[in-house]
Amino acid sequence: MKLRALLPLTLPLVFGVIVVVFAVQAPGFLSAGNLKSLVLNNFVLLAIVSIGMTYAVAAGGIDLSVGTALDFASFSFVVLLNSGHGWAVAAAGALAAALLVGLVNAVLIGGLRISPFLATLGTLFIGTSAQQLLSDGGQPIYIAQGLKLGVAGLTPLLVVLGLALFYGVLLARGRLGRELLAQGTQPLLAYYSGLSVRRIVTVVALATALACGVAGVLLGATVSAYVPLSGNAFLLNAIGAVFIGTTLSRQGRANVFGTLLGVLFINVIANGLLLIGWNFYWQQVATGVLIFGVLTFSFASRRLVELA
Amino acid sequence: MLEALLRRGSVGVFLAILVGFAVAAPNFLSVGNLANVFSQSAILGVLAFGLTCVIIGGGSNVVAGGLDLSLAANLGLCAAVFSRLNNVGLALWLTVSLTLACGVAVGLVNGLAVVLLRLPPLLATLASMNVLAGLELVLTENTVVSTDSPLLDLLSGGAWLGVPALAWVLLVTAGLLTLLIQHSPYGLRLHAVGEYPQAAEAAGLRNARYVLSSYLLSGLCAAVAALCSAAFFSGSTTGSGDMLLSVVAIAFLGVVFSRRLVASIPGTLFAALLIGFLINGFQLLNVSSFWVNGVQGVLILLVVAASSALSRGGHP
Repeated sequence: MKLRALLPLTLPLVFGVIVVVFAVQAPGFLSAGNLKSLVLNNFVLLAIVSIGMTYAVAAGGIDLSVGTALDFASFSFVVLLNSGHGWAVAAAGALAAALLVGLVNAVLIGGLRISPFLATLGTLFIGTSAQQLLSDGGQPIYIAQGLKLGVAGLTPLLVVLGLALFYGVLLARGRLGRELLAQGTQPLLAYYSGLSVRRIVTVVALATALACGVAGVLLGATVSAYVPLSGNAFLLNAIGAVFIGTTLSRQGRANVFGTLLGVLFINVIANGLLLIGWNFYWQQVATGVLIFGVLTFSFASRRLVELA
Repeated sequence: MLEALLRRGSVGVFLAILVGFAVAAPNFLSVGNLANVFSQSAILGVLAFGLTCVIIGGGSNVVAGGLDLSLAANLGLCAAVFSRLNNVGLALWLTVSLTLACGVAVGLVNGLAVVLLRLPPLLATLASMNVLAGLELVLTENTVVSTDSPLLDLLSGGAWLGVPALAWVLLVTAGLLTLLIQHSPYGLRLHAVGEYPQAAEAAGLRNARYVLSSYLLSGLCAAVAALCSAAFFSGSTTGSGDMLLSVVAIAFLGVVFSRRLVASIPGTLFAALLIGFLINGFQLLNVSSFWVNGVQGVLILLVVAASSALSRGGHP
């Protein structure tokens, strides 16, 4: 019983060891400049997408169309800005575009009862076509010279923290979060207890899409352009981060704090290996091996504890 | 009754697409073009066979059941291994054996991670995908490694009985795997392990061995597909990881071509050809290739919605 209580500590422990190793091996790792760029450049977008993905995983599904929602948002943002609207209108339009993707997913999963994996796979394929057609096969659309937005220093980080707080509290403390986790862990039981599967699925799909929409607006504003199909780059890392994060919960459930730690973990490994000065190509191998190792470690310790 | 109708319905859709293209594009049904489609479907088809084996052995639940996300990356690595070794001047048989061994070794790692370490397949193969993509980069330094070999010439240019070699690879692989997975005692047990693991265990099967073997098969398929890909591109190319989602789509699309609406090798073959015919037909009709993904997506959704409507019954 006591051992079980220690389980959530495995990930932070491994994480701590890795940070110490990097701090010793890579001189610039702990410098303020490096930490700042780590958080502001690498952490923010993946974190937001992963927060959205947390909801999909917590409800027992997965969302492969996060990149599509993100891309639709950044497309609408850039196009609306270029056509002379203010940034607030553009951002609202972008979020609406992302929510549209979520709504399609909700109809497919909740209405037609397609499994989340396949439903969002379909959305992803359709979204890919739509973007290729809209962008003439993948040409970026740039924000016109005079309209560029300076994204001020810490704003993106504040957005992440705000979203994390909102999504995290709702998932961990609210009634909605309990229903969602019930649906995720015991779908039949949730159904027979009278929970509305359709409502939960809709909320989850929209919540995931909304987070991706925010990421899309931030991406469009930071790079001052819409680059077609750029959102898919976040997909696999976001899934990885969420599942690494589940090891933080004693029951192995998806949770926002764990997800953020998972994102930080992925970023720190990439950044640390870069600073150590390894061959660029070996870095990717090492990243994969380390993630594999952490997953193995936490799943093996969970099993050992359960057997004991 | 309804199931039979749906199954015929899906074969009907398949035929309707063929007929539609045949009417619209006169060259479509020419022997040359059909052969073309078969050989162009070889790479994706063989990869999707691998995924089908894993799905059969692990169950079709996508998050908890069998899944191999490392297939496309495994192909990239095997193609790089083949090209590098071949350029070093190793004997052809040795190069080919080492390439196949590389694919199977990757399958072994995935399988052990799933069976021994009890990682969920989704995560285990996601992590190994990253490792493989990195190893491919190490080998190729992110460039195209072109290579030249009699085997590749034979695969890309050869033909027997008027059927191109790559099409033979697709058909022979499909035939062998159909015998193994659909018609052998091993295949029957693999199905049992995937669909009713507890019953299989109670009946005395060693589930872990069967699941492990399905990953070995999947790794082997990746290596065979890598040889096809090396023949098609005269070496290894970058960006093979992009094939992953198409492979997943084909394997799950194949479900609708089987009698009981489960993953099967012939079903996957049909699905791979269906996608091949779609892409080819669009090319002949001068429809922008940008539409292909979307049509593929709509097809998956249609097929899955129809089959889930049938298998639903009273449950959610």
